[in-house]
Amino acid sequence: MNLHLSSIIVQTARNLKHTWGTQLMTLITVSLSVLMFSFFFLIFLNLKQAGGQISKNIRLIIYLNNDIPAAAQPQYIQKIKSFNKVDKIIFKTRNDALRQLRQQLGKDGDVLDDLTAGFLPPSIEVYPARDLVSLAKIKRFSDFLATLPGAQKVQYGHKWIERLSYFTQLIRLIVLLSGGLLVLTATFMVSSTIRLTVVSRNDELEILHILGASKSYLQMPLIIEGLLQGVIGSGIGLLCLYFLFNYIRSRFTGPGLMSIIHFSFLPPPTTAAILIISILLCTTGSIISIRKFLRF
Amino acid sequence: MNVQQSKTAIIEFIKVNKIYPPDVIALRDVSLAIKPGEIVFLTGMSGAGKTTLLKLICAMEQPTKGLIEVAGHDLGRISLKNMQLVRQKIGMAYQDFKLLPKLTVYQNIAMPMEITFTPPKTIRDRINYLLDTLNLHGKADIKPDKLSRGEQQRVAIARAAANYPPILLADEPTGNLDRENSDLVIKLFAQLNRAGTTLIIATHDPVLYKSYPAQTLELSQGQFVFKDQATPKTATGE
Repeated sequence: MNLHLSSIIVQTARNLKHTWGTQLMTLITVSLSVLMFSFFFLIFLNLKQAGGQISKNIRLIIYLNNDIPAAAQPQYIQKIKSFNKVDKIIFKTRNDALRQLRQQLGKDGDVLDDLTAGFLPPSIEVYPARDLVSLAKIKRFSDFLATLPGAQKVQYGHKWIERLSYFTQLIRLIVLLSGGLLVLTATFMVSSTIRLTVVSRNDELEILHILGASKSYLQMPLIIEGLLQGVIGSGIGLLCLYFLFNYIRSRFTGPGLMSIIHFSFLPPPTTAAILIISILLCTTGSIISIRKFLRF
Repeated sequence: MNVQQSKTAIIEFIKVNKIYPPDVIALRDVSLAIKPGEIVFLTGMSGAGKTTLLKLICAMEQPTKGLIEVAGHDLGRISLKNMQLVRQKIGMAYQDFKLLPKLTVYQNIAMPMEITFTPPKTIRDRINYLLDTLNLHGKADIKPDKLSRGEQQRVAIARAAANYPPILLADEPTGNLDRENSDLVIKLFAQLNRAGTTLIIATHDPVLYKSYPAQTLELSQGQFVFKDQATPKTATGE
């Protein structure tokens, strides 16, 4: 078994030595594809996480014409929940609104002394479920809430929520495209490289065949080549991503939006999955080429 | 050598024909049986069918008609796995050498041993022995294109002999060699033969086949024309 392995390793090393230029180009392509895909996937995951964090603070305020009597509140709750999952619903009367405003004004609260509670409208505060899917549906949710009996208008930070939602959709699309690119480059580049190896080693393979080399003896070094392309290529790609991630995190943390978002690297299972899928793709490329071009 | 069928034959041809397209007849109704440990010289003019016969033995070519058995296997019905095993039992020194230019002399000779997963130390020892025996000292790390034709020929012979094959086929093994180096090759062949290797040597060199007590088969236009017993002048080339 050891002899089998060492002999096959010798063959593989010989192949790599003879076609190192092509191998290097393929390795760079695989690394870049993995880097590109995992970079966008990382952005997507962080945005998704950020969306979850931001949505904790999101609420839709429905301003009403009149206070809702306590007996009618369960009907409102049922109606709201029938459209979308919500975490919390708070009913605020005109007095509650005035009290809240006074609290917010603090020491300057006395400016409200001459005013009656009637100048502020009653409201319902709706806290939607904390996930991005709900966030994306917020516009439709808002339109629905505006149709509730007694609703004057609905307010929420719709502009930036819509932008975040749009941006997340865009990143999702880029992740899908770069994933497709990874599949194509890993499979086809490795397949082409193995084809070149087979062509350049045709004489040697023919003589080995005549000398009685088994099918596995001829094929294994070529399969190992593809496998190595996957291991090293995706390894380099993910390592580059890690350094890039640390660089970006060290440069762009500070006040503003960046302080709200907690950046995190790809979780270990995701990293392992990218590694394994890349290896499988490269090995598949290798096998495709062997089946197509190895005549022995 | 016995032209009659033999149950103990290691190589057997029964009415073998080989026609290359469109209608070039290389072999016509050739029958032969070679026992293990025999030495057979194949002689004849260029184009007589010597190389074709050797290629049929190692299954590089398929017969147009007829039956070929090697080491107990019918080559027409053999499985891929058994074909590999049969080929591992045959050492072939080609007329055009078939050395790989990208590999060194050492790597070229090591090929048949690597295929059979021979331990590296055994490979090293065997190659060193063969290089010494065939007067190729210091050539191990050289690529074949830096060698003379005679040296390339001896490397091809070393590769054919490397794995102690039960059958060794040699196509014009002394064609590019001077007398001194031819003797080294013959000495190696004799040594292998004493260890049990069956030798089939296609040659134009009368000195070679007249010097040994071996069977000589002459081919002409794809058929055996006569067979005789060579003069036992030097029994083993030593």
